[in-house]
Amino acid sequence: MTLKRYYAQTMERLYILCVVLSGVALVAITLIIPFGVFMRYVMNNPQSWPEPASVVMMVLFSFVGGAAVYRANVHIAVESLTQAVSPRVRAYMGQLVQLLMALIAIFMIGYGLELCQITWHQSVPEFPGLPVGLVYGPIPLGGALTLLFLIEKVWVGPAPRTSIMFSDEAVEME
Amino acid sequence: MDVLVLLGSFALFCAIGMPVAYALGMSAIAAAWYVDIPLEAIMLKISDGTDDFSLLAIPFFVLAGGIMAEGGMAIRLINLARIFVGFIRGGLAMVNIIASSFFGCISGSSVADTSAIGSVMIPQMVKAGFPRVFATNVTICGSVQALLIPPSHNAVIYSLAAGGTVSVAHLFLAGILPGLMFGICLIGLVLWISHKRGYPKGEPVKLKDVPKIFTDALWGLVTVVIIMGGILSGVFTPTESAAVACVYAFLVTFLVYRDYKWRELPRLVHRVVKTVSMVMMLIGFSVAFGYMMTMMQIPAKITYFFLSISENKYVFLFLVNILLLLLGTFMDLAPMLLICTPIFMPVIAKLGIDPVHFGMIMILNLGIGLITPPVGPTLFVGCAVGKVTMEQVSKELWPFYGAMCIALLLVTYVPAISLWLPGLMK
Repeated sequence: MTLKRYYAQTMERLYILCVVLSGVALVAITLIIPFGVFMRYVMNNPQSWPEPASVVMMVLFSFVGGAAVYRANVHIAVESLTQAVSPRVRAYMGQLVQLLMALIAIFMIGYGLELCQITWHQSVPEFPGLPVGLVYGPIPLGGALTLLFLIEKVWVGPAPRTSIMFSDEAVEME
Repeated sequence: MDVLVLLGSFALFCAIGMPVAYALGMSAIAAAWYVDIPLEAIMLKISDGTDDFSLLAIPFFVLAGGIMAEGGMAIRLINLARIFVGFIRGGLAMVNIIASSFFGCISGSSVADTSAIGSVMIPQMVKAGFPRVFATNVTICGSVQALLIPPSHNAVIYSLAAGGTVSVAHLFLAGILPGLMFGICLIGLVLWISHKRGYPKGEPVKLKDVPKIFTDALWGLVTVVIIMGGILSGVFTPTESAAVACVYAFLVTFLVYRDYKWRELPRLVHRVVKTVSMVMMLIGFSVAFGYMMTMMQIPAKITYFFLSISENKYVFLFLVNILLLLLGTFMDLAPMLLICTPIFMPVIAKLGIDPVHFGMIMILNLGIGLITPPVGPTLFVGCAVGKVTMEQVSKELWPFYGAMCIALLLVTYVPAISLWLPGLMK
């Protein structure tokens, strides 16, 4: 197997991992919040952790999911101009966008990590022991994932239509 | 010059096709670098944008709507609408629009509405003798109601973009009448077209089926009662009400309707993850962008600019509507709300326009933008579901744009349509 194919296969697995991680976080939040409501009104025993725990998971889900969305090409983009120019200009524009994406991913990794370091020794009030820095962790993580997916796009090309990314269309109902 | 770095680079990045979320982030970084603001501050803002508890309502509303739509809710709401108007000339077109009003009570997305209602209604309308293009147009235009009728996650986004000063509960209440009025404008139009072109009458529903149709549909419509009742009585926060609605949607789908297949669930979660993380990335980066806009005093400058043209609020609202309609043809609803709301907030405060009313204008205006070429997600989905091309659809959309603009003018210049219901709460 060539290195290229191996890389593409790894990225496909990484994509699945991202979506599973985000999906589990989503389902977990959906259960935690009503649990909080239940404890407050039915058990008369309000809990302080469901809110911050959900928020931490939401940040994780946003950035990890956001990287996956980048691979699946479903981020909102303005295509009016790129559709109007000649294919050659479009290719140049595409390369420029990839360069900019690499830049922002590197920024997210670099400055995100710095933010984590600065805040590492403060802890989240509701969870003593959980460093604030960890809450910011999804930013560099999301940046790194985006960069890996970007390398796949540049090096291997767009993922094939058979990828699991495109398997989520709703089944039409009769 | 610093303003040019921020806005100019954003326009440039968008024009060459960079995803809007990242374009917002990249231009914020470029501007911060230009005026010497530490870039960690930008990262902090990006994270601040996504770690707000009230934002959690967005994934929940999307998920609850998704479960309901795929769990057989759409067909039951259509049956309910059929009871009321199915037998009139052009009845199925009206059924389509009214089913969208009902669907708006469980979902806040016009794209979801178009695919759920359209995949059932368009084939039925075609079979009954309506032209395919007309059926598609009715579906996509009717779906705009879902953006206004609560629960609407776009109202949550607007509330956030307005700096948290506008309550989600008030926005939800405010959306009810503009949503219904929008539906009535469309119904007027399809009635007129149906009579002019002699479109078929529908079959009346058999009386003995009515009770079952009612109870079936009621199970779903109770969702909106849970959400609105919970929020208005103060039992839940909007976020909690949305989470409870998710659990309720699961229960109804799996215990009452029982035609949802469990193995479809991962697919649904996959799709919700995609939609929601896309919106969340937009929100995160737009908060950083908004921070830079404030640092550069752009909202204040824009306020000054508008006030120098006219200090009359009706003139201002007219100009804003034109501007948003133009921008809305190129850009999606969520990013436009996130970028434009903080810019306009100081102006509307100066002119004495209620931010709840202004939110309705923006959501409806930008909602119309979702069905205009060249960039119109609802239009794209509608064409895919209706199996027609965008050219065919756009050619016949003009009367619909007319009806929608009348609704927009009414919402803009009759503030009571938006403010009467929330006013009862105060």
